[in-house]
Amino acid sequence: MTTPPLNPADDAFAARLRAAGLPEDAFRPVEPRYLEERRGLLQGRAGLVVAPRVTEEVATVIRAANTARVGVVPYGGGTGLVGGQVCADGPAPLVLSLERMGAIRGVWPEENVLVAEAGAVLAEVQAAAEAVDRLFPLSLASEGTARIGGTLATNAGGVNVLRYGNARELCLGIEAVLPDGSVMHGLKRLRKDNTGYDLRGLLVGAEGTLGVITAAALRLFPRPAREGTALMVVASPRAALELLALAGARVGPGLNAFELISGQGMGFLAETGCTARVPFTDLPDWAVLIDLGLGPGDDPEAALADLFEAGAAAGLVSDGVIAHSEAQRAGLWAMREQIPEANKRVGAIGSHDISLPLSAIPDFLVVAGEAVARLGPYRVNAFGHLGDGNLHYNVFPPEGRTKSDFPGAREIVARTVHDIVAGFDGSFSAEHGVGRFKVDDLARYGDPARLAVMRAIKAALDPQGIMNPGAVLG
Amino acid sequence: MKVLVPVKRVIDYNVKVRVKADGSGVDLANVKMSMNPFDEIAVEEAIRLKEAGKVEEIVLVSIGVKQAQETIRTGLAMGADRGILVVAAEDVQQDIEPLAVAKILAKVVEEEQPGLVIMGKQAIDNDMNATGQMLAALMGWAQATFASKLDVDGDSATVTREVDGGLQTIRVNLPAVVTADLRLNEPRYASLPNIMKAKKKPIDEKTPADYGVDVSPRLEVVKTTEPPVRKAGEIVGSVDELVTKLKDAGVI
Repeated sequence: MTTPPLNPADDAFAARLRAAGLPEDAFRPVEPRYLEERRGLLQGRAGLVVAPRVTEEVATVIRAANTARVGVVPYGGGTGLVGGQVCADGPAPLVLSLERMGAIRGVWPEENVLVAEAGAVLAEVQAAAEAVDRLFPLSLASEGTARIGGTLATNAGGVNVLRYGNARELCLGIEAVLPDGSVMHGLKRLRKDNTGYDLRGLLVGAEGTLGVITAAALRLFPRPAREGTALMVVASPRAALELLALAGARVGPGLNAFELISGQGMGFLAETGCTARVPFTDLPDWAVLIDLGLGPGDDPEAALADLFEAGAAAGLVSDGVIAHSEAQRAGLWAMREQIPEANKRVGAIGSHDISLPLSAIPDFLVVAGEAVARLGPYRVNAFGHLGDGNLHYNVFPPEGRTKSDFPGAREIVARTVHDIVAGFDGSFSAEHGVGRFKVDDLARYGDPARLAVMRAIKAALDPQGIMNPGAVLG
Repeated sequence: MKVLVPVKRVIDYNVKVRVKADGSGVDLANVKMSMNPFDEIAVEEAIRLKEAGKVEEIVLVSIGVKQAQETIRTGLAMGADRGILVVAAEDVQQDIEPLAVAKILAKVVEEEQPGLVIMGKQAIDNDMNATGQMLAALMGWAQATFASKLDVDGDSATVTREVDGGLQTIRVNLPAVVTADLRLNEPRYASLPNIMKAKKKPIDEKTPADYGVDVSPRLEVVKTTEPPVRKAGEIVGSVDELVTKLKDAGVI
């Protein structure tokens, strides 16, 4: 875009915020935590950090930033994986943290609706739903830190997408401050509301480039009365897909999650000293973690045992374990959830959050595996939400070496993997977003007409380009 | 040698326990039930002894409602050989008291003649910590409670006990009753192939009358209450503020 350069969030701008009525306690020290990218891939910059307490204060900040042409980086829990919350280049922006807007504004159990402010930590929202015997199903590894505004801005996925959908599907309405400082009041608690353009759907997933989400009306669900979890060893990714189809036919909507785990991932847990226990003496090449949530009269453990029996008869599964207590369920899930931590400790050359048509996954794994092997002696940990067609395809250095031994490999590996994904009509970003790391990918793989519409929307809503500069469209 | 492992069906350790409105007990309707975690450890220890070639057969026994059969099946899927289910209650709310359980177990022991009884040190629902000791007394056997390590060697067992202030190692003659503490081992998951095999393992169904034991309660629950709710803490802005508040509270 040919907008003039932005101005830094300097002392003069701080004075304008004060003059506009932003209270002193909203100004925060520029602490390193606001500027860190968790894997150290970016070092952020900020001239100023503010943490408003109410929506009107957010509006005050954005209005002033728009007038002064100062860039604004909305900041939730800082757990994003594509650099959307970290601005490293250009004039030092204003970091707008939602950390002090964490209230649960209301819960309507009979409507299955909860209204939370953007700064509410995801785990707190889950707990607020549980307190009224309801489920807020959005669940991901960083749920103890991630804030609801960030999970909506990035349309986060997680482990329950198979049954309940992405963050966007879990959101009925939003309240947001638009780039001109106006407040869009859209906290409708309605399931049906066909009254024009879907602006909720637009701002959810916009990664802070079209405004700041300040609160959201979220969908709740009845809590499954009976839950069960099993880990099954599958012969191959193709067998895993056939088992998924079998599970769908046998338990239907009771399938909470269907997660692919690789032998490499299980090996990393032991290699890096993670606490999760792998229940196999000999690591299998592939396993799936299956989680069921059924009604009060049902027995998920029996359903899982039946599924295993049917899978064994079809030659799909050879071994497996089942959780007989909630502690064991937590143990199996800990294994799945510690894999990202193990990956971090090993140190990935590249991590790719990819989405594929389900039936293309086995072929993709073969083609991508061969292509990566041609690039170097790398190890691949492919794992993730198989039921959603979403894999985390991460590439690592060989044992005993580190990613710094392979300078420049990151870009080549990413290009190779993403080109193959595009060839299978997949997506280079399934649930993490575009952020700053995947701006070039969006430009390369995005449909031209779709990109043109996105640019037109951005120009119409944020003509000065103040909102999360550099993210998504670059 | 044969090992007998009593297993109890209890409210799952991770379930949030709710007291019934009338205070007569905790609500067990539609609540996840699992094997008592200490009993799970006892089953695991028995399986490890079998894997080490020191035990030939593991017999599980559960006393309670009919659904306790699921608890026995769990243990069979872990690796035990057969089960005895003593149906002593129809209502899931009814707890069979330790003395009645110990008397039934004593009869089962007379019939089965195990060389060792390994059981959980206590059930996490009533926290009695009594049944193992009572069984040992009724049988006139040695007892080694709160075991964190167990070595069986011929006709004796060496047991490390977790006692106040440290560990105590004792040797007991077999047959004996050993009660398992938390650190004895980490129980395995039940394997799915074993669950399929466990369906064929036999479970004998009995009643207390078969053993001539009266399970009528001798204790009366007067009242059940939830623990008092902890008061919320307060976040202070600075050390000075903390010191001032502590002084105001008269604690420093």
